[in-house]
Amino acid sequence: MRTRLKVFFPLSILVVLVLLLPILIMVIASFQSTDGSFSLANYQQVITNHYYLKAIRNSLGISVVASAVSLVIAVIGAWALTRLSQKTKNILITLFNMSASFAGVPLAFSLIILFGNAGVWKAMTAAMHLKDSLEIYSLTGTTLAFTFFEIPLGIMFLFPVFEELNPEWREISAVLGAKPLFFFKKVILPVILPNMIEVFTLLFANAMGTYETIYALTGNSIVTIPILIGTLIDGGLTANIPLACTFATLFALVMTLIVWVGNRVTRSKREAA
Amino acid sequence: MTPKTSRRVAQAIITFLFIYLATPIVVTIIYSFSTTWVKSIVPSGLTLKWYGQLVTNPEFTTALVRSLGLGLLTTVIAMICFLPVVFYANVYSPSVKSHLRFITVLPFTIPGIILVTGLIQLYANLPIPKILILVLAISLLSLPMTYQALDNAFIGRDFRAMFEQALVLGDKPFTAFVKIIIPNIRAGILVAMLLTFTSAFGEYVLTNLLLGGNFETLKIYMFRLMQSNGQASSVLTTIYFLFLALISLILIIIMQRYSAPHKSPKEVPDH
Repeated sequence: MRTRLKVFFPLSILVVLVLLLPILIMVIASFQSTDGSFSLANYQQVITNHYYLKAIRNSLGISVVASAVSLVIAVIGAWALTRLSQKTKNILITLFNMSASFAGVPLAFSLIILFGNAGVWKAMTAAMHLKDSLEIYSLTGTTLAFTFFEIPLGIMFLFPVFEELNPEWREISAVLGAKPLFFFKKVILPVILPNMIEVFTLLFANAMGTYETIYALTGNSIVTIPILIGTLIDGGLTANIPLACTFATLFALVMTLIVWVGNRVTRSKREAA
Repeated sequence: MTPKTSRRVAQAIITFLFIYLATPIVVTIIYSFSTTWVKSIVPSGLTLKWYGQLVTNPEFTTALVRSLGLGLLTTVIAMICFLPVVFYANVYSPSVKSHLRFITVLPFTIPGIILVTGLIQLYANLPIPKILILVLAISLLSLPMTYQALDNAFIGRDFRAMFEQALVLGDKPFTAFVKIIIPNIRAGILVAMLLTFTSAFGEYVLTNLLLGGNFETLKIYMFRLMQSNGQASSVLTTIYFLFLALISLILIIIMQRYSAPHKSPKEVPDH
């Protein structure tokens, strides 16, 4: 028992100091008004203020579209990856990992260089007298930006699932007379669908929590929940940390629920099998 | 589809994905070497001038040193917190692993922007150096990566037998751990350290909001340059990319060299 205590000591200290205590204080603060008394005013503001509702709508819109598109591409990419040789797979996984780490300020800057107002795309289309309608600082542009880290992330999550599919299943079902589409619908889809749901919840949660990329790309002009929290913390005169705590509490609660449900889906399937 | 065509299709898909993901990076790298690039298909000329300007700027060196320091400290803390736990969980008590799984979804349920809100609420007015809180918080956020990389290192060999033989032969647990276990998982430890270091080196959200931009790391410097000087910022982005590429190259070399003994996880019974 004493060794066990020693082994877990450093990790426990870390978790208590920078996770449990801050989250606990954050939840408490979310129920406080500016003078410190208990109130539900913050929560009431979240659901009545138009500006805040818009932030929630933007966040949901960008995240649903970006993670759905990225999931579809990641499924295709993960399948393609399993067809390659072991050595190539290892290298590609590392490269996908790298391109996911490129997210944030560097990605936003690269996209501005490519698609921004003084960017290379504009320079090229101007030189070729083409009309260009891509606006990188918009909602669409932001959603596009998110795919640059959501696709590699999705591939890294899905690849192990596709690796476990047995290539013999295909031959067996072909011998038994199944058409490829039937095989896909009746054999492959039931196996990967729960995993796709789980990966979707993770990609969605990841997009919902993205601050750096969107802040670097658009400043505060496109309001999402993380951007709003950032302004509430950092905004000088308009700073309102208790309100930031309310948003953060709701965020953590909803995301925990979603990720938990996603996790359940794959687990119950696995236990049934 | 025959296996051959399906392989061709797979190669085409991966190539296309790579072009998509790499284009912004490649364009930024070209931009960093170009004199000007306005209203033309290719840049007007190539130069190394912007590199000279950035690298000799003391602001760059300071930011680089800060990021390196943050990365190193975080790596050390993450290893101290996790190495013993992952060892213990794998060797003595696999049931602990299911409890540790909450850590792997942490970045999704409590991302940086949420964690920093709690940290500010708790520590803003306490007389504790913010930089200490920052290092601890970054360590916490990089734990999922550290955990998974370390956990992989324990796949496929009987570490319990090794460890207990050392104990029987008279080693103290700590000595046995350092002498027997660490050398056997050194590749896994190295991978975990590199991944942890990279994530801390590139941290932005916590550093910016917790310290209010007063502690200018490489990413914060990059953001500031981005607002004022596109050329300098493209140079810094290229340097950052090269750093990531170097780390990836090291990871690939480690994997190629050490993947042989526990290459196919499918053969591991407790998978």
